Parts: sequence; structure tokens; C-alpha cells
Amino acid sequence: MNQAVIQLMVSGALMGLVYALVAYGFQLTYATSKSINFGQGELVMLSAFFSLTLTNLGLPYYLMIPGGLLFGVVAGLFVERAGVRLALEQKSEGWILMTIILGLFGVSAAENIWGRDDRPFPTPIPTEPMQFFDISITPLEISVAIGVVMIMVIIELFKRKTLLGKAFEAVSADRDAAELMGISATRTIMLSYGLSGLVAALAGILVSPITTVGPTMASALVLKAFSVAVVAGLESGFGVVIVGLFLGSLESLTSFYVGSGWREAPGLVLLILALAVRPTGIFGKAVIRKV
Amino acid sequence: MRRAILTTLLAGLFATQAYAADSIKIAITGPFSGGSAPMGSSMRDGAKIAIAEINAAGGIKVGAKMLKFEVLERDDEAKNERGALIAQELASMNDLSGVIGTVNTGVCLAGDKHLQEKGITKIITPAAGSASMTQWSKAKVKDLSIFRLAAHDGIQAAMVVSEAINRKYTKVAMLYDSTNYGVSGRDDMAEQIKKQGNILQVVTTDKFNIGDKDMTAQLLRAKNGGAQAVLIWGIGPELAAVANGMAKIGLKVPLIGGWTLSMSNFIDNSAKNGNGTLMPQTFIEEPITPKAKNFISAYHKAYNVKRIPSPVSAAQGYDAVFIFAAAVKQAQSIDTKKIKLALEDLKEPVQGVITTWKKPFSTWDPANEESHEAFRRDQVVMGMVQDGHVVFGNDADRKRLISNATSVKGKK
Repeated sequence: MNQAVIQLMVSGALMGLVYALVAYGFQLTYATSKSINFGQGELVMLSAFFSLTLTNLGLPYYLMIPGGLLFGVVAGLFVERAGVRLALEQKSEGWILMTIILGLFGVSAAENIWGRDDRPFPTPIPTEPMQFFDISITPLEISVAIGVVMIMVIIELFKRKTLLGKAFEAVSADRDAAELMGISATRTIMLSYGLSGLVAALAGILVSPITTVGPTMASALVLKAFSVAVVAGLESGFGVVIVGLFLGSLESLTSFYVGSGWREAPGLVLLILALAVRPTGIFGKAVIRKV
Repeated sequence: MRRAILTTLLAGLFATQAYAADSIKIAITGPFSGGSAPMGSSMRDGAKIAIAEINAAGGIKVGAKMLKFEVLERDDEAKNERGALIAQELASMNDLSGVIGTVNTGVCLAGDKHLQEKGITKIITPAAGSASMTQWSKAKVKDLSIFRLAAHDGIQAAMVVSEAINRKYTKVAMLYDSTNYGVSGRDDMAEQIKKQGNILQVVTTDKFNIGDKDMTAQLLRAKNGGAQAVLIWGIGPELAAVANGMAKIGLKVPLIGGWTLSMSNFIDNSAKNGNGTLMPQTFIEEPITPKAKNFISAYHKAYNVKRIPSPVSAAQGYDAVFIFAAAVKQAQSIDTKKIKLALEDLKEPVQGVITTWKKPFSTWDPANEESHEAFRRDQVVMGMVQDGHVVFGNDADRKRLISNATSVKGKK
């Protein structure tokens, strides 16, 4: 029985890492602009479809990945330019509706271009399960874990070690002060949306071989990711990983012990608890308001 | 001047009437997009091959005229509300001879009442959920214009359970999706397990939702319970997630379930993990008879595919058109009510691709839905997934079908 628990936690945790990656995309843009792309899930889906097209055109896996990621970056920049920039300039909350609308537009576009069917996503990574202490894990799942952790480490290092990254941090800390120091906030926000698109594309490429690709593939994913981002707090990259792993395992365990119909419950309960008890998130910093 | 207008109007009136009487207008409805599309579009395409064959031969002789089929297509997107709207539209047409189609049981429940009210003849295919016919027997309808050409879930559940018993299994897990179709499939299976002597012990009964990808929890319960087979009722994408999940946790037992396990989106998305999966089929894409060979190659050629997305749907769509055409010929009319009467008492056997249909329907009896159900147990076979194709699961079935076909020929 104990072994079943571990198996469930491992399988759930791996899905949880994907939630974390999508949640990380929310954080990146929130840090610089206090705005979120509510169409993040659709970016995941569009990038997955685009990568699938590249694969079908005969591109090998290692060339398809940069192509898919590049598409993600361009799509992220497009969202920023079309949906977010004007709203931010006018200090309005219009970006909420705009990003949702862009997302819906993305779904319609995908339905028209690629059709509404779920499709398999070919991958060279083997899907035969391997046994570790009687726990089955597929190399594909391990690749998801490695991919998620790697991209987050790279981006975090970029933010901390490079000049451009420091600008990023500066804008998130205090936009006005950063502008006075000669850092272009607009450019930094563009950068954050580009990175957020990159993260979405990677999530799409990693998760598609497991979940298949379809216009609605990300709708469930993005809700979970949102819970993860809010529960962890919108500031902590490390936090989303922890909360993602936790929520993923919890969902698996709930659907085993309580019933498969209750699978979605823990995410929602956590979300409500977090909002009621600690609105800034477990790993978030308390906001100090100067009067 | 006024007379001139009147004559033109009259002429126009006659012209449209003459046009209407020159063709047999039927509607084909079903989901041509979305998760159920492999079934809907195969059914439509199979039906259109039959129509093309009939029209190419000049049509059907009604009175002194040769009438050709004219087809209306309607995509219900597998949505109940779309289905209801389409049924209302069709029910309002005065010159419609009949309707063929519908894949989703929920769509039948939402729409068919409008057709029944107007007495428009419909052959349901391939929707298999029991409720689409039992709704009429429960309501004790006296006269019914709805027929079905599909192996209904009652037959299928019986086959699924007896397959597990024949394979000497004693412990099974039962999984189903949370839609109308899945839940009624679960009930049918549970009832059959009881009926067939409670030989099978159900170690777990579990559901999943449309769109679920991770089935680890449900499958671990099955594995821990020592299930020797997973009996399942759902549709393509989620079935594939179950097959993939089973491979992952090393649950190496067969998946046995409703005919939806032959959908292309199950077969493609589960790839080699789907091998060995068993499901009832009314048609296997194997050219075992000359009629089947012609049909399969006609389909491949017409739609430029190497595999029919849902062979069962395509074959049923094809046969439904020929049965309908036979009724038109017997009724000597394009009036939908007369066609209905003819369907209930078809004198001539109809050569279909599935079988030779002898009196597929009889006069509606509210106490027995089978009066409007064409399929019986022995027209259905067990199919098995094998490297991307559905083949015969039991060789005895193949031999039976071949000998049936040759014996019919012998009689001729």
C-alpha cells in the first residue's frame, strides 16, 4: 500500500511540475508589469500545435524545440504589444479582458487551422516505464521534470547574474526608480512577456506527448497553474515549484483515497484557504503600503 | 400584366414541385468536428458512397420516374443543443423523406422528439446508448418513426461481460466516463454481470471526466485489487489516456469495452499500448467478402485514406442508406410516413456490407424496443486492436461471417 502512495505522489508531482511551469509564466510578467496573461494556457496550446506542425514537416526533435520556443517568444511579444501595452500606459485594467480575448482568438484560430481533434505528439524519448524501487516512471516523465527545472534555473540565473536580468529585477522592485536610472520599463516588460511565452512553449512541448495536443488541452492546466501561482505567491519562483509538486501529489492522493470525482477539489480548497488566510501567497512578500 | 405575373408565379410553383418530386431528399446529421468526429464523418462518408452508387445506377424507380437521392448535411458538433435545433429545422421541412445519423446518445435524446412529433422517419446510426430507444418504450409511444441500425449497448455490454468470462477471468475493474453514455454503459455492464451468474467480481468501479489525462489513481486501485481485465465505457481520447496509464503502472491486462475503443483517436493516441484491446464491432475493415472488399476500396479511394477512421460507422451509414432505399422502393413513394410503414415490413432482403438484412425492423411494439432495432447479437463480432488496425478478436467470428456470406450467395 505504501508503494501505491509513493507511486501516486510521484505521478502527481510530475503533473504538478507542469502546473508550476505555467504558473512561472504568470509570475514573470507579474513581476515587471503587475499584469498577467490570462491566455497563457492558449499560448501553451498554440506553441504545442506549432511544434507538432514542425515535426510533421520532418524537422528532427532537437531542431523542432528551438522553433517551438521561438514561436512562443513571438507569441508572448504579440500578446504584450496587442493586449497589454496600451492598457498599462493608460493605467487601466483593460489587459485582463484583452488577454482573455486574445486567448479565445487563439482557440478559434487553432480550431480552424489544426482542427478540433486531439492528436498524438511524437517524441523520440521512450515511453516504456522504468522501475525504481517498484515505482514506475517513464523517461518521458523524467524529461518533463528535467526540462521544467532546467528552464527555471536558467531564467533565475539570468535574472540574478546578467545586466539585462538585473534590469528586470529593478523594474519589478520599483518601476519608477528603475526608469529614473535609465532602464526602459517598456522594454523590460516586453522581455518578461517574451520569456513568459518561451516558458509556455516549453510547457507545451514537454507535456504534449503525455496529454496529446488539442485546442482545449490547456484549459484545465491553466486553472491549476493559477491556483499554484496564487497559493505560492506571485513573487517566488522557488515557491511555485514547491506548491506545484504539493498540489500535484495531493490531487493524485485525493482521487485515490476520496474518489476520482474529487480530483479538482484540493486545488480549489487550497486557493480559497490561501486567499482567506494569506492573500500574498505562502512564499509571497507582505505588501507594505506607504501612506 | 397581372396575368403574366400570375402565370410566372404558377410556373414557379410547379417548377419547384416538379423539382421536389424528382429527388428523394434525406438529411445526414452527426458530429463532423470534435472528439466524436471520426464516427460522424465516417458515417456520413459511408452513407454518401451508398448514395453515389444508387444515383450512378439511375436512382430508385418510384412510379414511372427514376428518383435520385438529394442529401442535406448538418453538423451537430456532438452538442445536445445543436442537435435539438437541427431536429427542429428538419421537422419543419415538408418534403423531407427521412433522416440518417446521430452519433451521440445525448443528441438523440435532445432532438428526436421533434422528428417523432412530425412523424419523420429516422434511422439512428451509430449512436449506441440504450436510452435513445428506451425513451420511447418508457413513454409508451404507440407509433414510432425512429429506427436504429447500431449494436445497442445492451448487446455490447453482454458481449463485453461474456468475453471476460470466456477468458476465465474472475476479477475485473470497471471504469466509465461521467457522461450519459459512460454512466449508462456502467449500469448495463453491472446488470450483465449479475445476469451472467455473478462470476465476475468487480474489484473497483471508478469514473473519469472528459479531458482527464492522468488515470493513475483509478488504475492503481484496479491493480491493487488484482483485476485481470479492465471493463470500460468512454470515448476515444480518455480511453487512450487509460491505455497509456495502464502501460505506465505496469497493469498488463486487456482493456475490454464498448465499440468506441475502435475510434481512430483511441488507436492513434494509445499506439502500441492499445494492442490487445477488445470491443464489439459490427464491421471489421478486412476484405473478407466481395461486398466488403468493394466498399473498403471505394471508401479508401473516394476519401484518399488508408484506413477508415471508424469502419463501424462507415459500414452502418452505408447499410442504412440501402435499407432506406429499399423502403422507398417498396413504398413507391417519397412520403416519409409511407417509407416508415415499408421499413417496418421490408419484403425483400437488403444486401448490405455488414450482412444481408432480412426484415431488420417490425411494427413498433412499446414493450419491446427490439422491434425497431436492426441488430441482434449474432451480427456483432469481437474486434481487437492490432498495430493501428482493428482485426477480428476471435477467428470463429471471421469464419462465421464468411460462411454466412457464401450461403446467401448459394441461395441466389
